[in-house]
Amino acid sequence: MSDIRATEIMVAAGAHELKDSETVVVGIGLPQIACFLAKATHAPALTPLLEIGVANMRPKDTPVGLADSRIFYRATCWSGFLDVMGMNLHRGIVDTGFLGALEVDRFGNINTTLSREGGRLRYFNGSAGGNDVASLAKRVIVIMRHEKRKLPVAVSHLTSPGFVGGKTRAELGLRGGGPHRIITDKAVMGFDAKNHSAALISLHPGVDLEDVLANTGFPLQVPDVIASTRLPTAEELRLLRDEIDPKSVYLGGAH
Amino acid sequence: MAGKIKPVSEIVATIPNGAHIALGGFAIARNVITIVHELIRQQKRELVVSQGVAGLDTDLLVGAGLVSRLIIGGGSLDRFGPVHCINRARETGSLLFEDWTSLSLCFRYLAGALGLSFIPIKSLIASEILERLERGPGAGDVKPMQCPFTGEGYIALSALTPDVSFVHVQTADADGNCRIDGPRWENEEQAKAAKRLIVVAENIVPTEEIQRAPERTIIPGHRVEAVIHQPFGAHPTAVFGCYDYDAAHLKLYVEHSKSGDRIGDYIDTYIRRPKDHLEYLEKAGGPQHLARLKADPVLGY
Repeated sequence: MSDIRATEIMVAAGAHELKDSETVVVGIGLPQIACFLAKATHAPALTPLLEIGVANMRPKDTPVGLADSRIFYRATCWSGFLDVMGMNLHRGIVDTGFLGALEVDRFGNINTTLSREGGRLRYFNGSAGGNDVASLAKRVIVIMRHEKRKLPVAVSHLTSPGFVGGKTRAELGLRGGGPHRIITDKAVMGFDAKNHSAALISLHPGVDLEDVLANTGFPLQVPDVIASTRLPTAEELRLLRDEIDPKSVYLGGAH
Repeated sequence: MAGKIKPVSEIVATIPNGAHIALGGFAIARNVITIVHELIRQQKRELVVSQGVAGLDTDLLVGAGLVSRLIIGGGSLDRFGPVHCINRARETGSLLFEDWTSLSLCFRYLAGALGLSFIPIKSLIASEILERLERGPGAGDVKPMQCPFTGEGYIALSALTPDVSFVHVQTADADGNCRIDGPRWENEEQAKAAKRLIVVAENIVPTEEIQRAPERTIIPGHRVEAVIHQPFGAHPTAVFGCYDYDAAHLKLYVEHSKSGDRIGDYIDTYIRRPKDHLEYLEKAGGPQHLARLKADPVLGY
């Protein structure tokens, strides 16, 4: 299936990380798409939560964001920040926080606040619930495009903590387990259990190691044996293309 | 039926310059546009604005130059774009800026609503958000602390008690009993933390209707100072169950918001020249255009 897009492999890899019966707080964009793919396939009992106060929604007509009524269609609970972020996340029962990012560094620290490209300071959306999710979820998965500037040695602004300075989460005083995966359109990365630095797990089919190393701004640990990322099945592709994102709002672009 | 129902111009006239106002919108949903437009028409100054996730409402206030200090957890117009006016103001340093998170601001409002002077939290820790707060205008509102029972480390947050909170709701009665349909982010904590609470309602129903399902009342009337009745009062943002966001108008807004000059044109055309919200709605497309945004009763948008 040579016509599979890199974004489709990325989103399917994100979905494959999610387990059935998990409680997942999903951020806007690709995390939503991956989560709904998981729920439509191997994880029907997964409970997705949105920070604004939504549980177990069945989105319709490709929502434009968290505030779009299309995203909380057929939810089983509507509440607010205090419920989802307070009595779920802060309570410590959220298995996975699933986020996007402007930048992620080798310790899994996330920047969603600003960029300093070409010496010009530009501000973006800030944390919203991102810092809370990264601080409090049992594990954090980040999904983003694989570009050198988006994977720097150190983020330009540490919006949401990973293993800050290579420290353990306990040393940092954080309850949540911290970064678990960085999933891009080229590879899947995890974190070394000892030094907490990003380490390659698998390359997407057709992507070579040199390409990944050349497009990663931090020193990436490479294992002796590199796996190949599992491709989306025909059924997963059908769901993505026909049901989850038929207008290619989220999957378009990165070939 | 009159009860607490007041015209928006009369209410906004009571807001002093320099007041701390809290807004109940989130990105492109349930923004208090009726209030924001009137604040701009009445040329208020030096406002302190707090909000979990800022949207078009706060972006407009900043674009119009009414704000001296922002206390927000984030800001976005979803896929229509970033909050250009707010981001530009940060880049040029034209206002004091406190960058928080959704949960930390919700907790600060909750502390205010409960009459607590502070509340501990387990996020913000080890982040640059905390570092910047500690050396910025929020310095007096965050302090490391230990649990007196277990010794566990927390960040203590001071309570946030806005002078006035404004929230846009689907349904209220003339006494101010309010229903909020769909998710409600930090609306309840924010509303109940404030010293004064003003609601804008799409629909006014008889109190008998409220009494038929009082469990749906999110904000009870005795907490509410005044009710402003304004159908399409959140346009161009969405009100679940009432109308969808106006995608064409949001695109037009985002184009104007990209520069300081063009946002001025938007404000003149859509806010200063119309004398009230009805004239604004006329300018923004009128009844036929608005009818197309009305929500399908099953879908809610």
